[in-house]
Amino acid sequence: MRNKAIAALGILSLFTSIVPVWGQATTKIGVITSLTGSLAAFGEAHKNGYSIALDEINAKGGVLGKKIELDFYDDQSKPDQAVQGVSKLVDQDQVPVLLGSYSSESTKAIVPAVAQRETPLIIPTATADNVMDSKSPWIFRVCAGANDYAKATIGFLKANGAPKKMAIVYENTNFGQSNMKAMTAAAKEAGIELVAVESYEAKSPDYKAVLQRVKQANPDVIYFCSYLLDATTLMRQTREVDLNPKYYTSAGTGFAAAEFPTDKGAGKNADYTFSVSQWLPSAKWAGSKEFDAEYFKRFKTHPQYHAMQAYAALRVAAEAINNAKSLEPAKIRDAIKNISMTSTPFGPIKFENGQNQHPVLITQIQSGQYHVVFPPDAAEAKPIIPAPVWSKR
Amino acid sequence: MSLLKSWKFWVSLIILLVWAWVPWFIRNNYQLQVLFRITLFAALGLAWNLVGGYAGQLSLGHVAFFGIGAYGLAIFTQMGVPVWISAILAAIVSTAVAAVIGAIAFRLRGPYFTLATIAFAEVLRLAATNLNVTGGAIGLTMPALFVGRTFWRSFYLAAVALAVISFLANYWASRSRFGYYLMAIREDEDTAGAVGINTARCKLYALLMSAFLTALAGALYGSAFQFIVPDSILTIDISIQIAIITMLGGAGTLLGPIVGAVLLLTASEAFKNQFQESHLLIYGVLIVLVVLFLPEGIVGGLQHRFRKRLKPPKDAKPQPALGGAAQ
Amino acid sequence: MVRFLQACADGLLTGALYAVIGMGLALIFGVMRIVNFAHGAFLMVGMYATYVLFDYFKLNPYIGFLPAGIALFIFGYLVYMALIRPIRDRSHFMQILMTMGIGLILTDAAQLIFKADYRQTNIDLINRSVHLGPFGANAAEVLSFAIAIAFVVGLRSFVVRSRTGQALRAISQNAEIAPLMGINLVRIQGISFALGTALAGIAGGLLLPRLYLFPGVGEDYTTKAFVMVVLGGMGSIEGAAFGGLVLGLSESLTSLYLGNQWALIIDFVLFLLVLSFKPAGIFGRQRA
Repeated sequence: MRNKAIAALGILSLFTSIVPVWGQATTKIGVITSLTGSLAAFGEAHKNGYSIALDEINAKGGVLGKKIELDFYDDQSKPDQAVQGVSKLVDQDQVPVLLGSYSSESTKAIVPAVAQRETPLIIPTATADNVMDSKSPWIFRVCAGANDYAKATIGFLKANGAPKKMAIVYENTNFGQSNMKAMTAAAKEAGIELVAVESYEAKSPDYKAVLQRVKQANPDVIYFCSYLLDATTLMRQTREVDLNPKYYTSAGTGFAAAEFPTDKGAGKNADYTFSVSQWLPSAKWAGSKEFDAEYFKRFKTHPQYHAMQAYAALRVAAEAINNAKSLEPAKIRDAIKNISMTSTPFGPIKFENGQNQHPVLITQIQSGQYHVVFPPDAAEAKPIIPAPVWSKR
Repeated sequence: MSLLKSWKFWVSLIILLVWAWVPWFIRNNYQLQVLFRITLFAALGLAWNLVGGYAGQLSLGHVAFFGIGAYGLAIFTQMGVPVWISAILAAIVSTAVAAVIGAIAFRLRGPYFTLATIAFAEVLRLAATNLNVTGGAIGLTMPALFVGRTFWRSFYLAAVALAVISFLANYWASRSRFGYYLMAIREDEDTAGAVGINTARCKLYALLMSAFLTALAGALYGSAFQFIVPDSILTIDISIQIAIITMLGGAGTLLGPIVGAVLLLTASEAFKNQFQESHLLIYGVLIVLVVLFLPEGIVGGLQHRFRKRLKPPKDAKPQPALGGAAQ
Repeated sequence: MVRFLQACADGLLTGALYAVIGMGLALIFGVMRIVNFAHGAFLMVGMYATYVLFDYFKLNPYIGFLPAGIALFIFGYLVYMALIRPIRDRSHFMQILMTMGIGLILTDAAQLIFKADYRQTNIDLINRSVHLGPFGANAAEVLSFAIAIAFVVGLRSFVVRSRTGQALRAISQNAEIAPLMGINLVRIQGISFALGTALAGIAGGLLLPRLYLFPGVGEDYTTKAFVMVVLGGMGSIEGAAFGGLVLGLSESLTSLYLGNQWALIIDFVLFLLVLSFKPAGIFGRQRA
């Protein structure tokens, strides 16, 4: 028994000492994301986005004269593992700044642990607004949140025909429920009646019954909160049940995926759908197209905005370290607070109460291409409203 | 009691003291956190062992009790109950739920029982995803059982305490008449019934104990990680992990769950830090190898090879005359 | 009424695919008494196999599922010989543990080979509908329904008529006596494990055009397959097919009348009811 205990401690110290303290040659930045588990595809997008930013920054000499090295921790798409990651990266590897995690639930879970350790956290992608509830000065978010999605969508609807009846179709997950709640509040405030609020189980091959219920409520607008490629099935089956609202709106992700309007996705069924978007390869910000090209060159696929947000988060971290001229977490935090990057491929970046003031775009798929249609100052095409009924397409 | 004269008792006590003393010589929170997880899963494995090991009922629904512990703690605290009392209440609720699950599932044998336990746990997960009181899929922030600078040390010590209690329960089960009844049920349920053991009641008592301990572990775990969602705290993955830990270490042995937790969680953390995306592959290979080459688990296999002390002798099946006590 | 019947039809269209998944699991359970936790992973492998044929050879998934199924048959046989056969006399514990290990390995291997990206196929057929009076159905779903039913019927007659099938049934009724009657236990178990794996793969191939693909796609289907198999009476192949249809129907109708969030809950409640009151399945014979 004693031998086993000693052996156990031995093994433990072995694996904790595997990671050597190079420290001197490079500057480590901690990254928590979902490399395995149900969200691994998005973790991969993160990793890709980070790697592009990393090479770009290191090619320009890194930070404070040293190259950056990324220290990844896989949260396996689980919040408790993400919390453990904070401890690994901060307590053990002593990184001065953290990026992550991917999902809202993992991010929400790590916020208290990060704040407690007084290390700055830059959140690239978590859209649920409860991740910003803590008001901790150590937490910064690069992306816009679910409330911004809802507000942008409502703003767009008001400016384009002001429909009265809305249905929300959301997947029964953290993402879906957060966006459903945000839209419920925003619609109420705008005086839009919610005629149906339907959840669905993601990854199922059949949503016709759900869509039948929506059809019976006869909405003018549907707001889809669909995380994954269920968007493809949803649109195909919307056609099959002959559900014809005037507007198909959505909270991004599945509806904003690069493949969605292509032959590998929903194809023509995707036409006329609106989606909120944080970024597009065709966005007007300088460097967007170059990022897209570089990404395609490396990974043989076009990036979604998640990759761009990861890229932007690392850029922010590097800029902050350079501005702070120090690897002290408190100084980096203050540098992030005061950061003002006027031109990045993700648009200008500046934080207010920890939240980057990032504009939410509304895009519409027209003839298989995403086009920005709102807000007017960013629009590159006019929205087509109403969407033609299925029998006329 | 001859306990004080037994060298095993003193060795165990020393090991326990060292185990509890660890936080004072590990200053690194991460290592402490990994140790917390290992200790907690050892406790979970020991709790599971009562049902899965001694009674031989392969439950893959223990996450239900785990989840009730965590959610119960959060919900009772929201209702104004002090945190520690909430944790105990949650464990009591979990025990009550176990009584219901047991009443239904224990009528089933073998794989049917296993499937029923999975179904119960899945129903709870789906309920937690859809109810408001559990925060739905968005999740709940957990109340803190401990606060302050010694946060992880306190949680670690609480996990050690829970592991000790679970260990004692196992120790008792391996020595007492009740434990022999459980093992008789495992070897041959019909014969056990025929010789007068109230098999349904024995299995149920084992499950109730197990559920109580598992719920306490759930409350600790949820509180330590501060935020819970159904997909993290009610996922079948946890049931599976508890079972794998115990079976790898050796189901129905006293030390099996502890050895299993130490090896498996250490390996999984080390693999994760070393191999990134491929760590689950290696983990899977490890499981397959153990099943192929150490079919009784690590401790079970070693015991089998070197001695048979901790197992009851084959003739320990209860006599009909003794059976009355369990009824 | 139209809505009700339409929902029934939709439920059966999906249910037929479930039936194929369920039959595969039932076959393995019936002959070996192994609860196969890798079943969803086998389904995922079948989907990737079909996807590869589609992506590289432009083979329509509704044809590609066949070579994928054959590949999975061979794969299943190898898995049986290498990993299951050595432990076939061990406890349920260890067998379950083994299948879980296999599932983990397959899922992570798929991620290493194909990356975690979500993939989908968009074939022409999936966007066509067939109409019958007030009812409509997706042409691809109708086709996959027909293929699935053909497999259900074909497998049934294989089990009833062929010599191998009879040996298979003999083993599932009494594994101890069967070898005494000159049945080669290892061969038959190998064949049924391979067949079960192939059925999961075929179901995966048929599912591919309707769904999308990523390494973890099979997980939910493992639990669903358990439900079907229990509904139909564990180990009964016809029963599992029936269980699949019931599951499809119940999901569709629950979604229509109560909302989709109830569908899975109802699945498991049904499952528990059957387990507690009629463990031999909805219309199965009582088995010891």
